[in-house]
Amino acid sequence: MSTGTVGIVLVSHSAELAAGAAHLAAQVSGGTVTIIAAGGTDDGGLGTSAAKVADGLRDANHGAGVVVLPDLGSAVLTVRAVLEDYGEDTAVLLADAPFVEGAVAATVTAAAGGDVKAVAAAAEEARHVRKL
Amino acid sequence: MSASYEQGIILEGDLHARPAGALAVAAGRFAALINVSAGGHTADAKSVLGVMGLGATSGQHLTVSAAGPDAREAVAALIAILSEATRVGG
Repeated sequence: MSTGTVGIVLVSHSAELAAGAAHLAAQVSGGTVTIIAAGGTDDGGLGTSAAKVADGLRDANHGAGVVVLPDLGSAVLTVRAVLEDYGEDTAVLLADAPFVEGAVAATVTAAAGGDVKAVAAAAEEARHVRKL
Repeated sequence: MSASYEQGIILEGDLHARPAGALAVAAGRFAALINVSAGGHTADAKSVLGVMGLGATSGQHLTVSAAGPDAREAVAALIAILSEATRVGG
């Protein structure tokens, strides 16, 4: 049985988008969950960085697992490449979810004490929740 | 022994993102199935997106209903959060 709260890693092509989504999710969920913004390339451009994702997975992991949300499909390639080398037994789940809604829903579920599967499921359910 | 409880509240502010988040975080800590209803729509209280999707506004009547072993505590806790969080706003 793992302890602690599930961590969240937001992987975006844009550093600002990842940071903004992380800020919003933290505000909505009460600030008790570790949310790592892994956005942009290593030199600050638009794109994704395997190093930032790897650092994010490490920093977000408090023993209860990590849920990773990519913003666009090509970010998935970076995450998968990192996960191939990750090699730890802690659960890391990649959520197929809308980025902003998924980040908020996942973080709220993590704050409530949900396990890594519940947190990933909350993110993925965001696909089906209407705004209007 | 499972039980159902229900309580209503008149919102003192709009149910924006932060109060909806506080509600869903608290709801997620209970075992009971918990719904919030307003304006003819019902959402799972543990779904922050569902709660925000209610679009509940100041002055509107909102009902919290719960079924399960800790239903009574869940309803009391969520009504308290709604009372506080929608007054603060956000």
